[in-house]
Amino acid sequence: MTIGKPVVRVEDERFLRGEGRFTADYTLPFMVEAHIFRSPYGHARIAAINLDAALALKGVHAIVTGADLPEGLAPIQCRIPTHGDLSPYLQYPLARDKVRYVGEPIAVIVADTRAVAEDAAELIEIDFDPLPAVTDPARAIEPGAEPIHESGNLAGRWGFDLGDVPGALSEAAFIASDSFSIQRHSAMPMETRGLLASYDAGRNLLDIYGPTKVVHTNRNMLAAMLGMGEAEIRMIEPDVGGSFGARGEFYPEDYLIPFVAMRVRRPVRWIEDRVEHFAAINHSRDCAFHVTVAANRDGIITAFDVKLVTDMGSYIRTHGDVVPSHAAASFPGPYRVRNYRIDAMTVMTNKTPTGTYRAPGMFEANFARERAIDRLADKMGIDRAELRRRNLIQPEEMPWYVGTESVKRPTIFDSGNFPLIMDRALKAYGWDAPFEREVNGWKRGRGLCALVEPSGLGPFEGVRIEVDQHGKVQIFSGSSNQGQGHETILAQIASEVLTVPMEKIRVRHGDTGIITFGGGTYASRTAIMGGNAVHSASVGVRQKALDAASRKFGIAVEDLDLREGAIWHGHRNEPVVTLGGIARMLMPGNQEILVSPSAGNIPDNDGLVVTSYVRGVTAGAAVFAVHMADVLVDPETGETKVERYFVACDVGRQLNPLIVEGQIVGGVVQGLGGTFLEELAYNEDGQLTTGTFADYLMPNVYDVPPITALVFEESPALTNVLGVKGVGEVGPSGVGATIGNAIANALATDTGLNKLPLTPERILQSTGFGGLQ
Amino acid sequence: MKPAPFDYFAPTTLEEALGLLKQYGSDARVIAGGQSLVPMLALRLARPEVIVDLNRVAALAGIAEDGESLRIGAMTRQARALASPLVHEKLPLLRHGLENVGHPPTRARGTLGGSIAHADPAAETPMVMLAYRATMVLAGGAGERAVPADEFTLGTFDTCIAEGEILKEIVVEVRPDEGTGFFELSRRRGDFAMASAAARMRLDAAGTCIEAHLMIGAVAPVPLRCDAVAEALVGAIPTEVRIREAVRLIDLDAFEFDNPEISLAYRRHIAPVLARRALMQAASRAGDLRQ
Ligand SMILES: Cc1cc2nc3c(=O)[nH]c(=O)nc-3n(C[C@H](O)[C@H](O)[C@H](O)COP(=O)(O)OP(=O)(O)OC[C@H]3O[C@@H](n4cnc5c(N)ncnc54)[C@H](O)[C@@H]3O)c2cc1C
Repeated sequence: MTIGKPVVRVEDERFLRGEGRFTADYTLPFMVEAHIFRSPYGHARIAAINLDAALALKGVHAIVTGADLPEGLAPIQCRIPTHGDLSPYLQYPLARDKVRYVGEPIAVIVADTRAVAEDAAELIEIDFDPLPAVTDPARAIEPGAEPIHESGNLAGRWGFDLGDVPGALSEAAFIASDSFSIQRHSAMPMETRGLLASYDAGRNLLDIYGPTKVVHTNRNMLAAMLGMGEAEIRMIEPDVGGSFGARGEFYPEDYLIPFVAMRVRRPVRWIEDRVEHFAAINHSRDCAFHVTVAANRDGIITAFDVKLVTDMGSYIRTHGDVVPSHAAASFPGPYRVRNYRIDAMTVMTNKTPTGTYRAPGMFEANFARERAIDRLADKMGIDRAELRRRNLIQPEEMPWYVGTESVKRPTIFDSGNFPLIMDRALKAYGWDAPFEREVNGWKRGRGLCALVEPSGLGPFEGVRIEVDQHGKVQIFSGSSNQGQGHETILAQIASEVLTVPMEKIRVRHGDTGIITFGGGTYASRTAIMGGNAVHSASVGVRQKALDAASRKFGIAVEDLDLREGAIWHGHRNEPVVTLGGIARMLMPGNQEILVSPSAGNIPDNDGLVVTSYVRGVTAGAAVFAVHMADVLVDPETGETKVERYFVACDVGRQLNPLIVEGQIVGGVVQGLGGTFLEELAYNEDGQLTTGTFADYLMPNVYDVPPITALVFEESPALTNVLGVKGVGEVGPSGVGATIGNAIANALATDTGLNKLPLTPERILQSTGFGGLQ
Repeated sequence: MKPAPFDYFAPTTLEEALGLLKQYGSDARVIAGGQSLVPMLALRLARPEVIVDLNRVAALAGIAEDGESLRIGAMTRQARALASPLVHEKLPLLRHGLENVGHPPTRARGTLGGSIAHADPAAETPMVMLAYRATMVLAGGAGERAVPADEFTLGTFDTCIAEGEILKEIVVEVRPDEGTGFFELSRRRGDFAMASAAARMRLDAAGTCIEAHLMIGAVAPVPLRCDAVAEALVGAIPTEVRIREAVRLIDLDAFEFDNPEISLAYRRHIAPVLARRALMQAASRAGDLRQ
């Protein structure tokens, strides 16, 4: 039995030994390097570009600008359905007449080395006519605001109106209402993006190392943009040092690097540096809610009335408006609230375009909803956990149709016993236990948050499993691995079904050359989608092996059994044949079972090989989670110390408890970064003012509190055979809310703490700089 | 993030290093631990034509006792100084300051001289040296000169080190009978401070303060010396009440720094808190010394 065991990740050893092979570790003969010249302005017209001096520098091979791109090239498409038509806001790989954010690619310089390319960048002369930068979404939609695109700065306005919100508000006994904002921040994977493109002109074949996440989709997008056949392009995912949603989308560079490699007829490598990363990678989160929550006298929440404004940045990218869409679709969270209204606006500004970041829309919505619910509890004078408990969706109400939809699919919670998990979580944490309110002048507070995290979204996933003559198993996965441990869990599932030890199983992934179709890794989906594809392919391999053995040895299939990687006949103490033996039998060309000749082609065996694609289920699998924390606050300075952090969640079934815990703990740390520290800040000119790690602060090891994960397997997902639910995003999802609630509790304040990040200064402001010495 | 091209020299003696600086004049820049200069090179914020690497000039590193003073070579690594028993025993304030400078990896490379020469307004070591009224010894073509800390730092990233000069060592007079205190507040541990305070205090046998120093850092281009606070404490028993009163005399009008995330108002709010805590700590340690 391997499923559910704390198997040490098979990836760890090579990473810890420094034997991982990342994009920057790959080189090819005759390789040259690229550097992207990026806009220094937030908003400007490009009047003229002069490349003469830059082209004259020794070691420069080519410089490509917007004028060199093919006539009629389409912009980079959005890969998911959106609310309304966002096509006027799509981005071209290179700016032509106008730049709309600091960091927008204007030219690609190809040179012997990156250093030479950067020297050449300094010699590029561009006349810019600066335009007023629009950085505040509220201002962006005022009449007379400088238009960033011809279609105006309001990209979309949409929403939901369920039940009778005005009625519920007018009858409410209690109402809490406030604004909550979540700052722009994003994924900072340890490894920045990178691509190595190599074009074989003679054969018209293009190989690209470095894509990840959704390689098949990216391959198809690139094929369309280059006018090549899909099979003429191969995208190969090396080891990947993190993505968290941002890395692996189709960015301008994903077109530009292959494009220049084809032009210079030499392999071209581009490794994004950290400064580029800050300005170029999808930003995320940046949004503001206004929430009104109403309750009746019994503490039953009767309505959520919400306004949401999301700052999309300067272009719509591959993710479209999925972040606000998810936030809007799931805003009511784990509560049985049928009166729900949201008015959502997506606004363009002169900032880096946005996309998803771990728990997209959820981190944001949970912060706004759960802070508002605490306000409501304070007003009603009832315990904050009790208010939540009274409003949870009941197990007999599953599956729960929220009544909303996102990316054109209804929001459904497939299964779960929310009240049971909540009770156990509160008990395990000791929520009701009294605690010291003050320690050495610091105030202690306790906070909680309840949430539902959707997982396992997306249309399909596929794998092919091959068993070789030695009984070794190869899994060719259509999904990707960016450090989450997918090589381990996919192997565990195959190991369980095929009764083959982990050491004999290899997983390859993220390579369009090894499997025809693939979904990819996002939305906490690989355990569910990839996992079930492996399960189904493994079951197929087992069946194929049993059938073959039955045929060959003349034993009924029912009398055969797969154990220890071999086929056994009843309880005899010798196996009939090993899986390797079956694989040999099923090799094409095997004399033994050659069918008699006939005219035409003779069909042959195709090995002990099974390909399996599984279909995604609408809305995937819903994970219920409760976060709790104790936080100390220095009322004189606003400093904080998170004393302990706790996450309870029901993941249906754990494939590997070590990985589940790792995902939760790592996710919480990331959430703490978004709660206290990380911010992509812009000044009025549209300059990114936190564009290095000196200013963009990430949590470091000293800031990590003790984090406990209490994982339940109470309600297996009903939407997949393994019963698993995704665990990638429950970690960060509730951190902003929980910490905000704990600090408010510590300071006994019912104002403020509604703007992330919670800097010491903002924490003090919530008490009006109280506690003056 | 690749530096602009430069020539590189790695002299092994101070004379050689000074010779190179003389030869290349304003085109040359010395590099010590590189913890501030390398990022500036990579961002092309600094673009010297010539880099003179001091890491092989052995004579520039080391901590030595010299009568009533400690002499600290400019190339002494921050980690070395932090681990040095001499520093623990004689310059506790430097130790408290260094504990707040960056992280183990940056301290392993970063030097004391580099930190002082770099003159970041929020840096701990220049403030500590001001609190100690240390002396900076500069070596140049024309010989050496000694500059008191108060005259050394001129502004943000600006010192009196002239073209062709190298900070050679820092001389600190040691007071065995004083208590020190250091507090700072930063967004994360190991970051530059939002505000910081360093205090020194001596008490007489009756517990009366006979000497006090208070510096506030990270609020203006050069750390602020708060003489009014010190004067208010001298002659008094430094009780908490007394210290609370004294820190009101901090010249909040001299605070300059105001950013969106760390406003002037916030700095004015926390600096007196940190000053009070540093003075309380200094008083308590000075009190311990008397027993
Ligand atoms: C992640 C990180 C966190 C940090 N946190 C802090 C912090 O909290 N507090 C803090 O104070 N610092 C911090 N620093 C800066 C660090 O302390 C640097 O080491 C220090 O500022 C410079 O010392 P260095 O030896 O590395 O000098 P370098 O970077 O080599 O040089 C810095 C400057 O000083 C000049 N210089 C160096 N030595 C001499 C000399 N002997 N004579 C004349 N000029 C000289 C150089 O020409 C250069 O202009 C941090 C750095 C990093 C990377």
